[in-house]
Amino acid sequence: MSAIDEFEEAREDLEALLIEVLGAVFGEEAGIAWGQTIPAGPVVSSRLAIHDEEDDSYTLVEIRTSGIMARILASRMMTTADPSSDDLLDAIAELGNIAGGNVKSLLRHSCRLSLPTAEVTQAAVEPEQPRDGVVVQASVLGQVVELIVHQADTVSGLYWPGSTHTDVLEKQS
Amino acid sequence: MKILVADDSKAMRMIVVRTLRQAGWAGHDIVEAENGREALTMVGTESPDLILSDWNMPEMTGIEFLKALRGQGSSIPFCFVTSEGSEEMRSLASQAGALGLIAKPFTAELFMETLGSVVSA
Repeated sequence: MSAIDEFEEAREDLEALLIEVLGAVFGEEAGIAWGQTIPAGPVVSSRLAIHDEEDDSYTLVEIRTSGIMARILASRMMTTADPSSDDLLDAIAELGNIAGGNVKSLLRHSCRLSLPTAEVTQAAVEPEQPRDGVVVQASVLGQVVELIVHQADTVSGLYWPGSTHTDVLEKQS
Repeated sequence: MKILVADDSKAMRMIVVRTLRQAGWAGHDIVEAENGREALTMVGTESPDLILSDWNMPEMTGIEFLKALRGQGSSIPFCFVTSEGSEEMRSLASQAGALGLIAKPFTAELFMETLGSVVSA
């Protein structure tokens, strides 16, 4: 069974995982995001890869939320009223790292986790297209956070722990 | 007591320091490193009494840092604070000489339970 099949079977576990991580990181009650979406405007996201050493496949784990939510996250993590844009990216990367580590723990065999990366993008004006993979959402402080887990053909821009930045992740086949 | 906190995330280093305070250990000196290589150097210059280290870091991972440290003959108490808490990793940590592995997200209570034997108020 591929990693993505395992995650599809574990959709409820992924949702519970996201709710637990958000609740702990924000120190607030988190729950299911009933019909909510990420509002228009800047979207802050983090991304990391899980390398399955059995079949040499890569699974991407992404976290997406609004710029407002990322600012709240950075503000709480760093105990500052005015986090910098670097703080914002660091905070969302760490949230992705925590989520990714917990997602990896759901797998039953040997895998390797990359370092996280983060970015700010503008949300598309038109409705988003359906995305591949498993997408779960949770709500905290009235804002939506998405966890997306999907198989990846390319994992460019990501790095292995312990590596220098010249050692970019590459698919082995 | 001097505590070395190694994590590539500034946000997480701040959370670890805050959690130490919440656990009742506010008065200790804290020094910080951004990766295992920097932390290994700081062990020589700062002589910490306890090391709290992330596992997945650039330059040198936490487990590489711990193995290098023990390879130098150091027995400084070392605990991982990391996003992965699988049995496989806990076993690797223990075999390499770590006193424990605290998985993120964590609580002050978990810090007290894991580190209570080596940290005092």
